[in-house]
Parts: sequence; C-alpha cells; structure tokens
Amino acid sequence: MSETQVTRAPSTAPGAPAGSPWSRLGAWLAQERVFRLIPFVLVEAIFVLVIIIPFLLTIYISFLKWRANRPFEQAYLSGFENYQAVLTDPGFWSALGRTFYFAGAAVTLELVLGFVLAMLVARTVRGKAVYITILLVPMMIVPVVVGYNFTMLYIDSGPINQLLAPFTEAMGLDPRIRWLSDPVAAQWAVILSDVWQWTSLTFLIFLSGFSALPKQLINAARVMGASAWQIFWRVELPLLKPAIVIAVVIRSMEALKIFDPVVLLTAGGPGTSSQSIAFYLWEQVWVFNKFSFGAAASIILLIIFAALIFFGIWLLVRSSAAVARERAA
Amino acid sequence: MKSSRMMVSVLVPLVSAGLAAASAQAADPVADRAVELARAYMKAKKIDKLEQNMLLNSLYRNAIGDFADRWEKLTNIKVVSSPLGYTDIPSKIMAEAVAKTGSFDIFNDFPYTMPDAVGAGVVVPLDEYAKKGKPDFSGVAPGLRYQQYYQGKLYNIVLDGDHLILALRKDIVENPEVIKEYQAKFGKKPGCPATIDEWEQMAAYFHTKEGETRWGMKFDKPLYGAMGYRSVNFSYRHFPAYFGGLLFDKDMKPQIATKEGVEAITKFTSIVKYMPPDIQGWGTPQIYPFWGSGQAFSVMSFPSIVGYGNSNEKSVVKGKQLSCLIPQTTWKGKLVRRAPQAAGTGYMVNKYSKHPELAYYFVQWLTSPSVGDEAIAHPKGFWDPFRKSNTTNEAILKRFGEDFVKVTMENSNHAVSLLLIEGNYEYFKILDNNLADVMNGNVKPDEAAKRIETGWNRVTEDIGRKRQIESGRWGVETGLTGARLMEM
Repeated sequence: MSETQVTRAPSTAPGAPAGSPWSRLGAWLAQERVFRLIPFVLVEAIFVLVIIIPFLLTIYISFLKWRANRPFEQAYLSGFENYQAVLTDPGFWSALGRTFYFAGAAVTLELVLGFVLAMLVARTVRGKAVYITILLVPMMIVPVVVGYNFTMLYIDSGPINQLLAPFTEAMGLDPRIRWLSDPVAAQWAVILSDVWQWTSLTFLIFLSGFSALPKQLINAARVMGASAWQIFWRVELPLLKPAIVIAVVIRSMEALKIFDPVVLLTAGGPGTSSQSIAFYLWEQVWVFNKFSFGAAASIILLIIFAALIFFGIWLLVRSSAAVARERAA
Repeated sequence: MKSSRMMVSVLVPLVSAGLAAASAQAADPVADRAVELARAYMKAKKIDKLEQNMLLNSLYRNAIGDFADRWEKLTNIKVVSSPLGYTDIPSKIMAEAVAKTGSFDIFNDFPYTMPDAVGAGVVVPLDEYAKKGKPDFSGVAPGLRYQQYYQGKLYNIVLDGDHLILALRKDIVENPEVIKEYQAKFGKKPGCPATIDEWEQMAAYFHTKEGETRWGMKFDKPLYGAMGYRSVNFSYRHFPAYFGGLLFDKDMKPQIATKEGVEAITKFTSIVKYMPPDIQGWGTPQIYPFWGSGQAFSVMSFPSIVGYGNSNEKSVVKGKQLSCLIPQTTWKGKLVRRAPQAAGTGYMVNKYSKHPELAYYFVQWLTSPSVGDEAIAHPKGFWDPFRKSNTTNEAILKRFGEDFVKVTMENSNHAVSLLLIEGNYEYFKILDNNLADVMNGNVKPDEAAKRIETGWNRVTEDIGRKRQIESGRWGVETGLTGARLMEM
C-alpha cells in the first residue's frame, strides 16, 4: 500500500493550480486503476472511430434509399429494399463468381510458382541474395505501374504475342491474341498480371518456410536411407504445411479484393467479362452514385468473406496444431 | 531638350503598348467584363489576393497554366488546377456533394456530368452571375449551346467542340488507280461517305491484308478498313451516330428495342470486323497512334485526331487526311446526320465555393470568344474548335488546317448531346455492356436491345420516372438531343 503511494505520480497536473479542474483530472488519471487503462482506451477509441462508426454508418446507409445524385437530406429509410436489389442483381452474382474464379486461378498459379522458385532458391548455394532480390521486385512495384506496363505488353501486336507467335502459329491459332478485348483472354490477362506481381509474396513465404526447416530431421531421414523425393514428400512438405496455409489464406484474402489490374487493363470489359466484385462495387458507388445499394452489397460481401476468413483461420490453426503434434511425436 | 526627348522616347512605346493592350481588350467585351466584375467583387469584399481551385481534366494540364497566370495578373486571383483523369472527375464531384468541403471552386468536366451534379446540389446555377457578366454564346451551334443548360438553367459553360468526325486517308482515295477501280465497281469516285452503310462498304473495300499488293502499293502491314471507339466507356459516345432518334420517348419508354434500335446495334457492331482485332480494348492512347501509323483507312473519332495526325512527329499521315462530316444514318425512313458530342468539356461552379461568383468570372473570361479562341489555338491544349469565330481565327486555322475547321464547324450544326439526364453513366454502361456482348457474339442485336430496355427501365424506376420524364422532355424541347434537328 505504502509502495503504491510512493510510486504514484504527483496528484496534480504539472503547472495546474491545486484544486483546479485540471489538477483534479490529473490526479484522477494518475490513479493506477485509471492509468493502466489509458493505452487500452486509446486503442479502443481508434478502433471505434476508424472501424465501428464507419461500419455502423454503412449498415445505416444500406437501409436508406439514396443515390448521391440526390442530397443526403432527401434520403429515407427503405427497409431491406437494397439487400433485395443486390441479391436479385445477376451482375452481383456473376461478378462474385468471376472473382472466385480469378482468385482460384491466380492463387493456385502463385502457390505453385512461388513454391518451386522458393525450393530452387533455398537449395542454391551461390548468388542466393541476387535471386531473392530479383524475385521480390515485382511485389515492390506500385500496382498502377504494373497495370500500365501490362497494357503495353498485351497490345495485340505487342511483345507477348510476338513471343507466343511461334507456338500459336504452330497450333494453328491466330497469333494476335486479343488479350484485352476477347472475353476469355481478358480474364486471363487480369489473372496473369496478378500472378506476375504476387508470386513474389508466396515465394517469400515459402522461402522463409524452407529456411526454417529443422536440418536434423532431414539429416536423420537421409541417414536412414530416404531418397530425395521421400525427404521432400514425407518430411519437408508436411513441415511446410503452416507456410502453405498462410500463403493460401493471405493471397486468397487479397485476391478476392482484386481491383487494380481490372481497372487498369480492361475496365471490367469487354462488357462485364472481367469485372471483379471489387470493381462492381466501385462502379455501383462511384460511377453510378448508388451509395445505399453499394453499402448493402458491401455488408453481404462482408458476411460471405468473413465466413471464408474464419474457415481459413480454422485451417491454419488446425494445420499448425497437427505440425506441432508431429514434431512432439 | 534632352530630357524631353528621353521622356518622349519612353512615353511613346508605353502609350502605344497601352493602346494596343486596350484595343486588344476592347475587342472582347465578354472577357473585359469578367475582369472588371472580378476586380469590383474583390474591392467590395476588401480582398487583395485570392486563390481558387479547379478540378481539371488532365488533358489541359499543359496549357491551362498560361491562362491562369494571365488571370492572376489581371485580377490577383490565382487559379490552381488539380488535374485528374476524366473517368475520376465525376466521382470527385459527387464526393464533394456529400462532403461539402468547398475545396474546389470550379469543376471541369463533360456536360453529361451535369445532371447528377445538379441533382446532388453540388453546382450552382450561373444565371444570376451571367446576368451581370453577359457571356456570349453566339456562333455556337444549338446542339452544343444547349448542353450548357439543365432543366432551363445555365450550369456549365462549354469550351470544346468534341463532336465526332470521320477522317479518311486522302492519299488513298486520291490515288488514280484507286479512283479507277472504285469507280468501276461502285459507279462513283471514292470520298467522304454519305451514309453509315456507305462507310461500311468503303471499309470492306479498302480493308487489306498484310503482304497484299493493291493499287500499285505493297502493304507490309495490314490496312484496316475502319476504326472507331468500341471499348467499354466509349461505345456509348459513338452510338448516337448510328441511332438517329431519341433513346427514350416522352414517357421515358426506351426506344432501343425497335426496328431502328436493332438496326443501329447491328450497324454499330458489324463494321467491327474491319477494325483492328483488339479494338474493344482500345481508347485514345491506342487509337490515335494507330491512326498515325497509317494502318487504317478511316476513323470515326474525336476531332483532335486530325490534329494529332498532322502534328505528331511519328505520324505518317501528315497531309494525308481527309476530314468528313459524320455519315448519315436512317431514322424512320429518313436520312439524318448525328454528330455526338462525345466529350468536350465545360466548366461548372461548386456550390460550396467561398466565392462562387469569382469562380464564374474566371470561367466567363476563359470561355470568352477571344480567350477561348486562344485556348483552342494553344499548341499544348486539347480544346477543339466549336464557335463560328474559330473559322476566321488565323492561329486556329494554322493549328488545325482550314479544311478541318470548316468540316468540324459544319459537323457542329449536326451535334447532338449524349443522354443528359440523371444516372446517365448507368444508362451508358448498360448500353456498352450489351454492345460488347453483341460484338463478341454472345447475343444477337434484338436480344441485346431487349436487355438494354430492361436495364434502362430499372434505372429509370430507381431514380424516379417523373423526374426523368421532366429532364427528358426539357432536353427534347430545347433541341439538346437532336429532336429539333430531326423535325427540320
């Protein structure tokens, strides 16, 4: 008790006359039961201001009938009208489906390429730092620059088609692939630019996974006569499970929000063939001014994506626990 | 004696410079009035110096500074521009409608941004200021002039005649061998096509594969018969050239799922086979250089493409371009000519500006006949000719060429606005998406027309049919949409 009294801060705020409201506030804040809560309160305040209030506002707006081409003062409550409009809009569902398709294709390619590159670099003895630096560069480039560069590369008479020409011609295909104007090619144009940029991240995650592999286990397996394939399949890959799950979860979460390459390469076209859900939302809100419709669509998406994230986290926890159990055994 | 001589030698140039400046000023009372009224406003409000901000279409970023500097010297008001891509400007304006910050005093954008901005209450009617400033819109064709108004009020002062034009390769149509062969086949000399159908016929005829030799010329690269904007966010700007009437009737019933609508969709999409394969992904940054590279026989585009073809250092079509009126299309059995005002920016004043009246005076000064002509002639600007005075302005004629100015001014008499009602970007997008589906062979034109009709009706109901009917009818009554032209 006496120690507490000794270490307590002065009971008046510095410079404030004793008995003034400031000094009383200072004294109150200096009490240990209050003082220890200050950081928590600050964090909570930021959380409330930055997340909770905008989130509640979004929910509120989603129940209004409001397009921004009317003053907000003219908005009125319309119940679940916006939710109904979103759920019955085929554009919403096709954009969502397309997003899963983009994310599925892009993340799969990024995982495979990132894994292979990480495995090769992890086993490289000379020039490792150079390889790592080069392979991380795409991730460091601003997405706008990536998108702009790819618009140039994808031009029908551009370098990509020229590189592919020997193969496309050999297969009897038109060598001028319409990367940005054919509905299917445009989707792959978006996917490939995403793969080019974000394979760096999966590479980095897998490389750290390879670096953290316990050498003694691998050596023990080698001593016991396991082949290189067996070591990889039975020892390394199971130990890399958490890294794989992290890469899947992080990249999937990001890929489901794919927006930059869509805007920069195709503007969602031709037609709506490369429109992602993020682009759809942006267009509804910022081009069509349908703020309340956009709010309702965001809430619905939040529910869908939250379920996915929980599933991803559950997977991550489960695989980490399994690896821990294997190591303990 | 010596001192009086010195005084004379100093005073004479000063007086003559003053007289010259005065005569230059006196030549345009619209600009002068804007300056005087701005000065009087500053004096009345006891403001010595002021800074105003303009959200500017980035096309003008390299030229606007010269005019802003002059305005500052004349009035002590500095106009600071924030250049932004044209696709981003409408959302910034709508964000301002919600945020009400007054960060921008002036918005520079296309006329068809105006309906949403007016609906949101973020722009002020300029009529009160115009009563004092008396701007001059004489010599501007009705189809362009009325795009400055919405529901009877002046909101937006236009300084850009971006109505579409058709350009052909003059060197090809004037080639004696081409003339001979073309005449033998079609019974007439090649030249500006009279109709959309004839344009497609020419496109088919001149479309040449890589490696072919025709008319004594070897084509190392293919010559595409036609070019035009066919990508998302651009198709809707060209569509009115094919669809001769109003998109909606007086009760906002879409007119697209009609015989004329289906025909327009068919023609709009069928000429695509003579265009570069990637045309659905192209905007101006691809179309202009491609035209300049000489790989297309014809192009329907913004008029500045002719200037680009003549002035770009890499262009191989310098002096080889033939400017044409927009070809006619058929509407209910009659031939009509529609030159859509596909872009062409104007200037609006933010309701939340601290000094909207001063912002207006800058707009009046910039768009006045004399300063406006200088802007159009500015070598780094993208303002296109649109006013009668442009036809006699030597600097403009020098920059664009007499032939082009004549044709674009004639085209302006056939200018029609794009859809000038609230929610137009959503109507446009529905049209663009379905046109793309037809071009990609996903749906037939009649099915696309039905889908467009359904989509447009949904937007109309969402915004409010009554209000849309009011705006639509007002547009028809003023001749904004070409209805009057149609009756003539």
